[in-house]
Amino acid sequence: MPTSGEGIGNAAEAAKSGQIFVTIALAWRILNHDKGRTLLALGGIFMAILLVFVQLGLFFSVPQGGMLLYDNMRFDLLLVSDQYEYQAQPGAFARARLDMLTAAPEVEAITPLYFGLAKWQSGEGGMWPDLFVIGLDPASSLFDPASIRRQQNLLSRPDTILVDSATRPIFGPLSSGRVVEINQRKETIAGHYRLGTGFMGLGVALISEANFARLFPERGLGLVNLAAVRLKPGIDPERAAAQLQHMVGPGLRLFTRAALAHHEASYWTTRTSVGLIFGSGLLISIVVGIMVVYQIVSAQIGRQLPQFATLKAIGYGDGALALTVAAMSIMIALAGFAPAVPAAAFIYREIRRQTMLPVILSPGQIGWVWVAALIMATISALLAVAALRRADPADVF
Amino acid sequence: MPLAWRSLTANKWRLVRSSAGIGFAVLLMLMQLGFSQAFFDASLRVLRNLDGDLFLQSAHKYQFATQDPIPISLLAAARKVPGVASARPLYADWYDLYWKSPADGRLYLVRGFAFEPNQPVFRLPEVNADRAQLNNPGAVLVDRRGRRFLGMDTDVKQSEINDAKVDVVGKFTLGPDFMSDGTVIMGVDTFARLLRGRGGERPGMEAGVIKIAADADPRAVEKMLRQAMPANVAVLSKSQLLAFERAFQARVSSAGPIFAIGTVVGFVVGMLISYQIIFTEISDQLPQYATLKAIGYPSPYLLRVVLEQAALNGMAGWIPAWLLGLGLYHLIGVIALLPMRMTLEITLTSLGLTLAMCLVSAAVAVIRVIRADPAAVF
Repeated sequence: MPTSGEGIGNAAEAAKSGQIFVTIALAWRILNHDKGRTLLALGGIFMAILLVFVQLGLFFSVPQGGMLLYDNMRFDLLLVSDQYEYQAQPGAFARARLDMLTAAPEVEAITPLYFGLAKWQSGEGGMWPDLFVIGLDPASSLFDPASIRRQQNLLSRPDTILVDSATRPIFGPLSSGRVVEINQRKETIAGHYRLGTGFMGLGVALISEANFARLFPERGLGLVNLAAVRLKPGIDPERAAAQLQHMVGPGLRLFTRAALAHHEASYWTTRTSVGLIFGSGLLISIVVGIMVVYQIVSAQIGRQLPQFATLKAIGYGDGALALTVAAMSIMIALAGFAPAVPAAAFIYREIRRQTMLPVILSPGQIGWVWVAALIMATISALLAVAALRRADPADVF
Repeated sequence: MPLAWRSLTANKWRLVRSSAGIGFAVLLMLMQLGFSQAFFDASLRVLRNLDGDLFLQSAHKYQFATQDPIPISLLAAARKVPGVASARPLYADWYDLYWKSPADGRLYLVRGFAFEPNQPVFRLPEVNADRAQLNNPGAVLVDRRGRRFLGMDTDVKQSEINDAKVDVVGKFTLGPDFMSDGTVIMGVDTFARLLRGRGGERPGMEAGVIKIAADADPRAVEKMLRQAMPANVAVLSKSQLLAFERAFQARVSSAGPIFAIGTVVGFVVGMLISYQIIFTEISDQLPQYATLKAIGYPSPYLLRVVLEQAALNGMAGWIPAWLLGLGLYHLIGVIALLPMRMTLEITLTSLGLTLAMCLVSAAVAVIRVIRADPAAVF
């Protein structure tokens, strides 16, 4: 009977084109049918996504902590010793090696930086915590934050320091005007700035080169830890780095900003156990998220099994039903994701307050969690569809 | 067979699903608890391996791993205190020793400990077995559990520290902490030679390691020793030293709050999962519960059945998660060189949290059963 066969074919065709809307509508109806249950489901997926946010935030915060200083510095290239690991293990090189670079036509300005660890002998309860000291020329315009630029000239006074306000309470009060003892020298706190201490230590202070030489008399100013290079306008940093690298010779390394960010990220994620700790937390969070969504979706399917079987019996294919399930999963993930973003912003703020880690909710991070949420939804839908396959119309009734 | 058990195992597939859901939440908590434990364990490991009853260190120290030497002459004063069996110096450095890795030829900062080879201060058997060799100039022992890029796990025989040749005469097992990637142990002469040029003079000791005579009263010795020491020297028992370090790590490092947040989030997610599970199960079996009610079983009985079932659900998730956790602990211990150990404390804490999350969520869900009106269900 060709005619009726054709008719059925047309109907299937029509169903196919409209199928995507039908499945979405169906998924919506199923979710809407039992509001209490769906609300519970949303709570579950909300928590799972929040969990992913927390782990991802911690994971990213670590290299970000390493970048804190650099992100607030103006430079195009960073010159370091080839022993450079990270800020607290920077290696050092002779200041004289900067002379050649200063004369290079591409270079606008070079600011050498000196890092040292000094005893802060005025800590809380008689403690002498270690202070990470950054020495620089007070006339340089290296740092971006207005809080530093405004006060930088104060550093030209002898025995004066600016303290990072993220310095830990173990250092005692950090009030301006307080005189503290550092490496057996009396130093006056002239003011504060806020960059964060990152991985430099528990306390960080800025100081002039001349004061640095007085605090570390054995070392002096002959050895530089980092040099921030600013290029003349219009010079491409990538190309300049290659050319200047040739000029400075072996033992030194020039980083572009991108190369530096890459170096810090790979250092913290591969060389320390940080990557593994937060990476495994992230992985388990995603699995937990999959479990939550799967649990929810398969429970819904279980309850709607007769209806699904009916749909099957009247000619909907496995594909259409799978699409319905996928639509349900994605809707649940979407609905759970939306409130998770502001909640994550709140939790991040709490973590920042509790741990001093620079946990920041960046658009990139939100994007990653969104991808993770979709992956969770898709995998759990695939798992749940397996249950649906078993829906045999003849069995259910 | 109790009703809860039968109800749990009635649907095998659902049991697998629910134990996987709860299990992964438990696994998350286990990992966070394990990391937290490993963090503290790693930072306390050296101190635990010091062979002493009392310790002298600068009173200005805010943590053990900071340079703040005290004069060697204090040991002579300590030995005069009645009841002190021995007083030995421990030298240490965290900032100035650069080990040349045989793996890639680069220099890496390592921590170094030193002692008088005839006055051992460690409880590491391999260090004590090899200590006579540490009299040879340039002889060092390296930590085979140092991070891999240091190349200390290879059969390295010679390398350099601070550009001076050193002979690796043996190995010990310690592991890195969150500050140091690897450790070298040596005799004090080698130590002084490697650090010369920084100060020129012989280094002071970071700690005095004191043993109390077997027949002496430890408290009395501690008290007398404290009186014999100047005010800027702290006298600590081993447990005080460990508590001091633990308090610093807990207060200053972010590890405590980070892992606590992870555990709490795992708990809340687990609670939601188990609520979801128990809620679904109760809904599915509502007719049965209603029937039980109709034929005269009282609400407390139904409550007990639901709670039992929740506890069984929790156990069904916890047991595989614990076993999986054991494997993961081992794996992470090998890969990340973290001292991950499934301690009794972690086992009991995770079990307690699991049961708590399941029982609390069941108690919330059970309200539906209690309210089940036999007449309305059918």
